This record gives sequence, C-alpha cells and structure tokens, in this order.
Amino acid sequence: MNRKKKELLAFPYIIWMAGFTIIPLLMIFYYGLTDRSGSFTLENIMAIASPEHAKALALSLVLAAVSTLICLILAYPLALILRSRHIGQGSFIVFVFILPMWMNFLLRTMAWQTLLEKNGVINSILSFFHLPQLSIINTPAAIILGMVYNFLPFMVLPVYNVLAKIDDSIINAARDLGADGVQTLVRILLPLSVPGIISGITMVFVPALTTFVISNLLGGSKILLIGNVIEQEFTKGSNWNLGAGLSIVLMVFILISMTLIAKYDKNGEGTAF
Amino acid sequence: MKPLQKKLKKFFENFYLVLVLVFLYAPIAVMMVLSFNSSKSRSHWGDFTLRWYGQMFESTAIMDALYNTLLIALLSALIATVLGTAAAIGISSMKKLPKSICMGINNIPMLNSDIVTGISLMLMFIAFGISLGFKTILLAHISFNVPYVILSVMPKLKQTSRYTYEAAMDLGAGPAEAFFRVVFPDILPGVLSGFLMAFTMSLDDFIITHFTRGAGINTLSTLIYSEVRRGIQPTMYALSTVIFVTVLALLLITNFSPSRPAAAQAKKAGPGPAFQKGLLVFVSFAVVAGISYTSFLKFSSSHSNELYVYNWGEYIDEDVIRQFEEETGIHVVYDLFETNEEMYPVIEAGAIQYDVVCPSDYMIQRMAENGLLAEISWDNVPNVSNIDPTYMEWSEAFDPGNLYSVPYCWGTVGILCNAERLEELGVPIPTKWADLWDPRLSGEILMQDSVRDAFMVALKSLGYSLNSVDPAELNEAKDLLLAQKPLVQAYVVDQVRDKMLNGEAAVGVIYSGELLYLQEEAEALNLDYHLQYVLPEEGTNLWIDSWVIPWNARNKENAEAWINFLCRPDIAKKNFEYITYATPNKAAFELLDPEYQNNRDVFPDTNGLDNSEVYRYLGAEADDLYNTLWKEVKSR
Repeated sequence: MNRKKKELLAFPYIIWMAGFTIIPLLMIFYYGLTDRSGSFTLENIMAIASPEHAKALALSLVLAAVSTLICLILAYPLALILRSRHIGQGSFIVFVFILPMWMNFLLRTMAWQTLLEKNGVINSILSFFHLPQLSIINTPAAIILGMVYNFLPFMVLPVYNVLAKIDDSIINAARDLGADGVQTLVRILLPLSVPGIISGITMVFVPALTTFVISNLLGGSKILLIGNVIEQEFTKGSNWNLGAGLSIVLMVFILISMTLIAKYDKNGEGTAF
Repeated sequence: MKPLQKKLKKFFENFYLVLVLVFLYAPIAVMMVLSFNSSKSRSHWGDFTLRWYGQMFESTAIMDALYNTLLIALLSALIATVLGTAAAIGISSMKKLPKSICMGINNIPMLNSDIVTGISLMLMFIAFGISLGFKTILLAHISFNVPYVILSVMPKLKQTSRYTYEAAMDLGAGPAEAFFRVVFPDILPGVLSGFLMAFTMSLDDFIITHFTRGAGINTLSTLIYSEVRRGIQPTMYALSTVIFVTVLALLLITNFSPSRPAAAQAKKAGPGPAFQKGLLVFVSFAVVAGISYTSFLKFSSSHSNELYVYNWGEYIDEDVIRQFEEETGIHVVYDLFETNEEMYPVIEAGAIQYDVVCPSDYMIQRMAENGLLAEISWDNVPNVSNIDPTYMEWSEAFDPGNLYSVPYCWGTVGILCNAERLEELGVPIPTKWADLWDPRLSGEILMQDSVRDAFMVALKSLGYSLNSVDPAELNEAKDLLLAQKPLVQAYVVDQVRDKMLNGEAAVGVIYSGELLYLQEEAEALNLDYHLQYVLPEEGTNLWIDSWVIPWNARNKENAEAWINFLCRPDIAKKNFEYITYATPNKAAFELLDPEYQNNRDVFPDTNGLDNSEVYRYLGAEADDLYNTLWKEVKSR
C-alpha cells in the first residue's frame, strides 16, 4: 500500500517524459521515414550515402575524434598534476580550470573568431614582431581549436574526479614493489582512471560530433558538418523529412559509440560531477 | 629522486599549468580588453571607453534576453526539481523491471545530442499546433533538466535507510511528516545539486532553445548567435565581460564563503537546522511568488491590440516602430530572419502567426503560389500612391496584378572592393563577375551564403539567366562555384559588411543598400583604405523586398495600418536615412538630400540595368536541384 502510494509520485514524471521525450522522438521517426506527401520511404535514411552527406558525416567523425583525443592528451597530465598537488576537490586551483565552462558557449566561440581573423588579435601581434601570419580561420583546424577550447573542461572534470579518489597508499605500494614513475602511470593510474576517461570521452565526443555552431562561426560556412546539414534542412532547405532522416542516422551513430564506450565502463563509475 | 630532477619536474609541471591557463583565459582576457576599446576595429586600439557598456545596458534587446534567460532558467530548474525529486522517490520504490524502464527513458535526453532533442521537440510542438514562444522554450528546458535532477537525487535516496522512514511512522508521524522530517533532510544535498545543475544547463543552452523559440523571444544565447552572425559588435565584448565577472563573483561566494550550509549542518545540531529550514522554505516561497508576479505582469501586459512583424535584421529604424506604436496604440512584436529560405518554413508551418512579413521577390511568388499570402485591401493602404509606379511594374514579375505586396526597398547586388588591398595584390578593380575567379584573389573573396545569390554570380558570369532551371546550365554553374571555392575566404550573409570594414578581404559580394552605411562607417573609423562598389557588366540581380501579409495573420488590419504607415513620405525618408537601402517611395525620394539623390551606387540609373533581372520562384523541383547542387559546393 505504502509502496504503491510512493510509486504514484513518479506518475507526473512518466506522463511528462511520454509527452516530451517519447512522442517527440516518434515524430522524428515519422518524418524521417516518410516523404513530403506522407507515404513511407527509406530514401531519407539512405540519403546519408550520397557523397555530400557521407562526406559531412565522415568529416564530423574525424574532427570530433581528433578534438576528443587532443582534449584527453591535454587534460590527463593536467589532472595528474592537480592530483599530485593534493589539493581538495573544492579548491581554488581546480575551480580555476573549470571556470571558463560557465561562460556562455557562444561568447567563448566568438572570442576565437576575434583572435583568429586575418586582421585579428593574433595576427596583429605576429605582424608587430614581423612574424609570419597565422591563417587557420575558416579551416578544419580552427574548428578543432574551437571544439577543444569549448569542451576541454568536460574532459578535465571527470578525469580529475576519478584520479583524486585514488588512494595514495596504492601508489606507494607500487613504488615499494619497485615500479618506476612510468610503470606506476601505465599499470596503476591509467587503468584505475578508465571510468573517468570514458565519461570524459563521451562528454566531449557527442557534442563535438553534432555541433553546428562552432563550424558555422569558425569555419566561415565553408565546411559542412553533419550538424550543419541537419540544421540547414530544418531552417533553410525546408526539407524536414530529409533532416529528420539524417537525425536518425546521427542518433544511430551516437548509440553505437555509446555502447562501445559502455563496454569498457563495466563498473558504471564514470560519473562526471 | 635527486633534488635537481625534482625541481625540474616541478618547473615543468608549473609551466604546463600556466600554459593551459593561458590557453583557457587568453580569449576571455582579449574580449575584456576589447570591451574598453573605443575603436570598433579589432586590431587597433582607440581610446579607453565605457561606451559599449552604456550601449549594452540601454539595449532593450539584450536586457529582455537577459530577463528571459534568467526567468526560464529559474522556472525550469524549480519545476524540474519538484518533478524530478518526486519521480526519484517513486522510481526508487518500484520493482526491478519498471524501474529499469524508467531509468532507460530517463537516459534518452542525455544520450541524445542536443540537436536531435531540439528538433524532436520542435516537430512535436508544431504537429500539435502549440505556437512556438516563451512557453515552448520553458517546456523544452524542463524536459532536458528533469533527468539531471533524478540522477543527482537517486544516489542520495539509495544511501538513506528505509527503516528510518518506517521508524518515524511507528513513532506516530504521518507519511508527509515522516518524509519531510526524516527523508528529505537526507536527500537535500542531492536535490540542491540537481537544482543547480538544472539551472546552469538551462542558462547555457543554445541548441535546444534555437529550435524551440518563437517570435520576438530571445535568450542570451540565441541573441548572441544572431548578433555574431551579423558581425561582432563591441557590445558583445562588454556583455562577455559582465557575464564573466558575475559568474566569477557568484562562484567565489558560493564555493568559498566561510560558512558552507552543508558543512555547518553536518557539524552542529540544535536550533540551527530548524532555522535554516525555515529560511529555505521562506526563500523558495519568496522566489516562487516573485516569479509568478513578474510573469503575471509580463503576460497580463500582453496587449490585445498587437502586430507581429517578421523582418530582416537591421532593416528598420527602431524609432519608426516606436512612433508607429505611439500613433496607433498597436503593440509591435518584432522578430528577425536572416535569409528568405529561413523565413519560409516558419511561415509555412504556421507555428508562429506573423501579421506582416518582408520577404524578397521570388519568395513572395513562392508564398503566393502556395497559398500562404492574403490579398491586401488597398482601401486601407492609401499611401501606396507614394510608391513610384516603376517598382509596382517590376513587382508584377513576381506578384502579377499587384495583389499581395508593397515594395519596401530595392537595389542591386554587386562587388564591394577594397581598392588599396587590390592594389597591394596587383589586381585591377573588378568590372565583372568573372573577375571573382582571379587566382590572385585567393583567400580574399567573400561570397554570399545563400543559394540563389551564389548561383546568380556563377550563372551571370556564364551569360545565363539567373532564373535558369536548365540542369546542364546549373551543373555548369556548380562546377564554376566549386572551382571558385578554394579562393573564397568565407561564405557569409550580413557579416560581409563587418569583415570588409575590418579589412579582412579584398572583395565581397554585397547588396547595394549597405553602401551608404559602409561609406559613413569607413569615414568615422578613419580607415586608410576606401571601399568601392562595382556593378558587374554581365548584369546582376535586381531585388525588391516587399511587405506581405500571411494568410494566417490574426491582425490583418493592423498589418495594413503598418504598411500604410511605412509608405508615408516622412516615415519612409526617416527609415531610408537609417537603413540606407534605396527606397521605392517617390515622395520620400523627393524629400531627400540631393547628395543622396545623386548617389548612383544607391540609386542606380534604371536604364543601365538592361541585363539585370528580378528573381522568380522556380518551383519545388528546381528549388530542390538548387539546394542539392549548393550542398555539393559547400561540402566539397
């Protein structure tokens, strides 16, 4: 009786999720699997195979993978150093490395546009010292830079959280048994921090894969990612069926990468916050 | 380890930390510095100024967006917290199967990318006829916030023992009392952190808001996006600085204030908790009451006599809107679009019912052919007699019989050149479109990022009509655009202005109406280069933007009053002086300064435009072909 009553508390939520999660998802499938006249078709899904869409998806996967990797390479040593300093989780130094995350995402991206432009801040400084100009604005490199800058805190946080929880006595034990620094890192710290790395990878990879803002602002609309294609089908091309079909494909890709990741994260300890 | 080695290691570690810090904070620092720069240019330091801060605080658009952002974040976090906490308690007492189903569903919004969540919600709102606006953003934000609340409350619930709750009941407490006095204090940290997470998620969201927002409502994120797409204004730097400093201060206070409530509660018992609880209840009550009151004010002040206007960015003098409101008592809700292609699906879906829209020629034809327009009652628009008959004739190309549209602005598309930069590159001033394929201009070309304008350039340079539907001609044009792509610096719409002023490129494809603004701005900035407009020999696009009334307009008479007002000579003149796009209003033209009247860049000689054409709508099939070919150009 008591239990039943308690279960009722979840009722509004279930209604809400049905209305605002399940039904909207079904709408995507409805649009994705029909054509403009409303009859069933697989054309919108198959459209991913056409060269321009396939290329956009491939480029998105590559850019997202590269920026995730760079984030990991930058974040791991950082988290290790922060850990070795034995500063508490709430300490000011950790806080400083996460603070930019709280700034509006679009403003952070805009800042890089200002920096990278041909007559932007970086090039003005370079030309003042008579150094060669940096011209990466409107190239994939600028997009990767934007992704790394925006998503780096999402990697630092979970990796640091996991590393900070590792007991010092474990490391001391490894040292006592004759392991050197590298061995301790490779055989003790790295395996123990896998859950953090995994959730860091998810938190960077998924938004990087699906972004259309960064590629728009830093790519000069010259570089089309899958996110741009989908966004434009909805806001400009006005072919919603095609946009929905491509969204389904994108969803599948995310699901596949999630299951691959979940396979490594057996303990389910990969928590971000 | 040897001391030297240890020192070296320490040095490298510190060096690395500093390096990452520089990477993280340099962009923010640069924005802060530029926010005090009196020159609009990003590469020259003018003087120290606080002007941009003044402009920012005076801008109603920014302040409204700030208000909306905070209100939505607070409301959605509050509702999500209540919903999520109740759900977490319910779910935790479920049996295994329903529990895992619930948790599975709970994970959907977190696994799905924002873009898919946003699109799915938009499709649903439109399918169920819920008009997009404040409430749809709020609903969307609650939906993506609830899972975070549940995920932060669930672990705390797992830690609480069921027996304390039952013990409380045995000791005579009712279920509610037992919950609030025994269970709730235990899970409170989880509830609070869920609330904070929901609040920040909502505050920072752009993508979902982008898809679920409607007329006249912006959050800071959507406002910044549309501003940046139009060219970066220094007010945005001021805004960044203010946001950064506020966030820094808030986080410092909450994270490092000496008495942290959670710690205090854990340490001491006694009168403290009861007082704190009372305070908490009082504060949340005050917040809810405050919000309901302000939102009540906001919505009760929504006028019965309204006009929803959908226009291009920076395409009206805001004083004109104010004057219209004063003279007629009609409240104007004003919203912006960036391209015709973006405007069309919004009107077609009918999710936002605009009363008056200002599309271009070919799009008007498309809307009329698809039954999206209402005929204008000319009796209500007597001032239309001020419009030069020439333009009414031109309008017949896309609006036969002049049934639906009243011309607002007209002009040409041409090439804007930075003469000094071209000289540096050793390239003569272009005279025709084909000059935009000069390999010496590599990285110096700004092309238009809209399908028709980009293809117009290629088609005209090939000597074809810009209304071509011949697949062979279009493919030829596509190949030409592909060949040009390596030379193009960026595909932009309104940003071309800002970029040319900043000396980013040597040539840019631009609408003639931007010229006066550019020339005046270049003078004000004291640039060491001057910008010159070229009308290409092969002919160009003659465009007309006109006011039309959508079929589903709720305030048609207000819309006609609006059009009539804009056709008044004094208003049209005022408007022209602000937006500087050529006006088709003859009476207003006669009122203008002779200097403007004789400016051939702005008011080109209509006789010399023989090769130029007005865009026509080419039908759904040709439209799809254009879009596909354009996507091929963009993705290569």
